[in-house]
Amino acid sequence: MATQKIPFVPEDAQFLATAFPQYLKINGAEYPVSVLAYDSGTKESGFWKFKAVNYGSGNLTVVIRWTSDTATSGDVVWGAAIARIPPDSSSQDITTKTLATPATVTDSHLGTTVRREMSCSITITSLDSIAANDTVWIVIYRDGGAGGDTMACDAFFIEASLEYSDT
Amino acid sequence: MAVLSDNDRIAVWLQWMRENKEPVTGALTKAELRAAIDAADTWANDNQSSYNTALPTPARTVLSTPQKVALLMFVVAKRYLTGA
Repeated sequence: MATQKIPFVPEDAQFLATAFPQYLKINGAEYPVSVLAYDSGTKESGFWKFKAVNYGSGNLTVVIRWTSDTATSGDVVWGAAIARIPPDSSSQDITTKTLATPATVTDSHLGTTVRREMSCSITITSLDSIAANDTVWIVIYRDGGAGGDTMACDAFFIEASLEYSDT
Repeated sequence: MAVLSDNDRIAVWLQWMRENKEPVTGALTKAELRAAIDAADTWANDNQSSYNTALPTPARTVLSTPQKVALLMFVVAKRYLTGA
């Protein structure tokens, strides 16, 4: 039994026409830092697609690594959902498929340094009948308009990974 | 002029969070920031007559309201935002 991990980085994200996070490249002290800047006042979404290689069973875990633009306190509400299509066996139009029920987590800024890195996990239980080697679309969003989202600035998405069991 | 509408205050609130690039080093939530937006708007509303009275004539009578607002914005920005 092993855990499969599929990485999602800002450079690979796709967006709809509205309500999307801004792609930013920040020139750091010695290396460039790329992030997606999720707004504090509204829900913004980034999308990725992947093949569920060797998916075995169980829930999906999305591990998000993030930081803030200017704040050292407050909470961020992150959410994720998937839509899966099995090739050949499904006649579903890939452009009209809808996402399954999202799952969310509220994570707090750990203070002290503005752009320190935080990590949180979302457990996706609405699996849309995912099976090994399905094509899967995933949305990762920040619900900046939610009452529980209290961090007063952009949340910077650094990277995420989707994790699941191969047995 | 009355205080800003709730939607306008929300717009200012969101604009500040989006455009602020200086680290906020203490604990401050969105709700607490919104209270500050409301207070600043209320203060501006309460003191608009005082500002107008402080302007000497003929500027007070010749300049339009938007021109007086721009004047105040430029002075405040020069005083407090230079180098920020």
